[in-house]
Amino acid sequence: MSRGDLTYDRYTSNGSEEWLMRIGPRGGPALLFLPPFFEELNRSRAMLVRTMRALAARGWTCVLPDLPGAGESGRLLEDIGWDDWRSAAFDSASKEVIATVSIRGGCLLDDVLAARGAWRLSPVSGAALLRDLDRTRIADDGATGGYTPSAALRAGLMAATPIENTLVRTVRLSSDRADADHKIDGAPPWRRAEPQSSSELAELLVCDIDTWVRACVAS
Amino acid sequence: MVAALNDDQEVDATLRAVLVDVLGLGTDQVAAFTESTALFGDLPEFDSMAVAGLLSELEERLGILIEDDEVDAEMLENYGRLLTFLRAKALR
Repeated sequence: MSRGDLTYDRYTSNGSEEWLMRIGPRGGPALLFLPPFFEELNRSRAMLVRTMRALAARGWTCVLPDLPGAGESGRLLEDIGWDDWRSAAFDSASKEVIATVSIRGGCLLDDVLAARGAWRLSPVSGAALLRDLDRTRIADDGATGGYTPSAALRAGLMAATPIENTLVRTVRLSSDRADADHKIDGAPPWRRAEPQSSSELAELLVCDIDTWVRACVAS
Repeated sequence: MVAALNDDQEVDATLRAVLVDVLGLGTDQVAAFTESTALFGDLPEFDSMAVAGLLSELEERLGILIEDDEVDAEMLENYGRLLTFLRAKALR
């Protein structure tokens, strides 16, 4: 299969098989994408895939796992605990993975691979994600788009904050006042109910990820 | 994670940025908002589902918590009321 093509593979975590999507050559230096959670993933998916394709064109193998209970996973979200997601982030990383690329809630998982570089976009606390999920439920008369996290997942999320280590680069949108190593212009796709063109934002992300990870590897 | 706010103008700028980012409104349109510009029930983009995302983003960016019982149609009625509510939360 030629460079840039998309394939689906399996990985095993806690005894169950989950899907992961790969864009780029098998066996090359790889970036593990740790996706946003719940509805934020659906809203961000087009941007994620566009970013992965553009990084593949620059020679990176980009891997996006389905977390257990999310995406095409055969398991039910109701049966998933926080430790399942932590384990899945670790188990989905092949030895070729040299850095993680995490968006929003995904940044709460990248410390399981702390030896690798961790590039983060708009990290958020688990408590803030739960507040948003519960608020959406109220606004939508009890329907959270089907997201019903277990008590164990809620408890883990409630306590989770992004872990700082020396190999982290934090990027935020320029309209976000919070501290960051770098700010880029763009609107947060994870907040938009309406689909939007994501090409400009993706290109800005690609440039920063590519430059930073190469510098990480070289140092 | 968010530095303390000490300035009315910063809350105003953050609210305008969030309206652009979350509702997809034009920067020029939002820059022209005055205290009496009607929001909830008047702007088509400002519906009940959008309110959830808007409040969550404001919480994150201003470092505040907004309780459900504090949210009503009056607080969201116009730009001035929403800004006053946020200033009281963020600057105390």
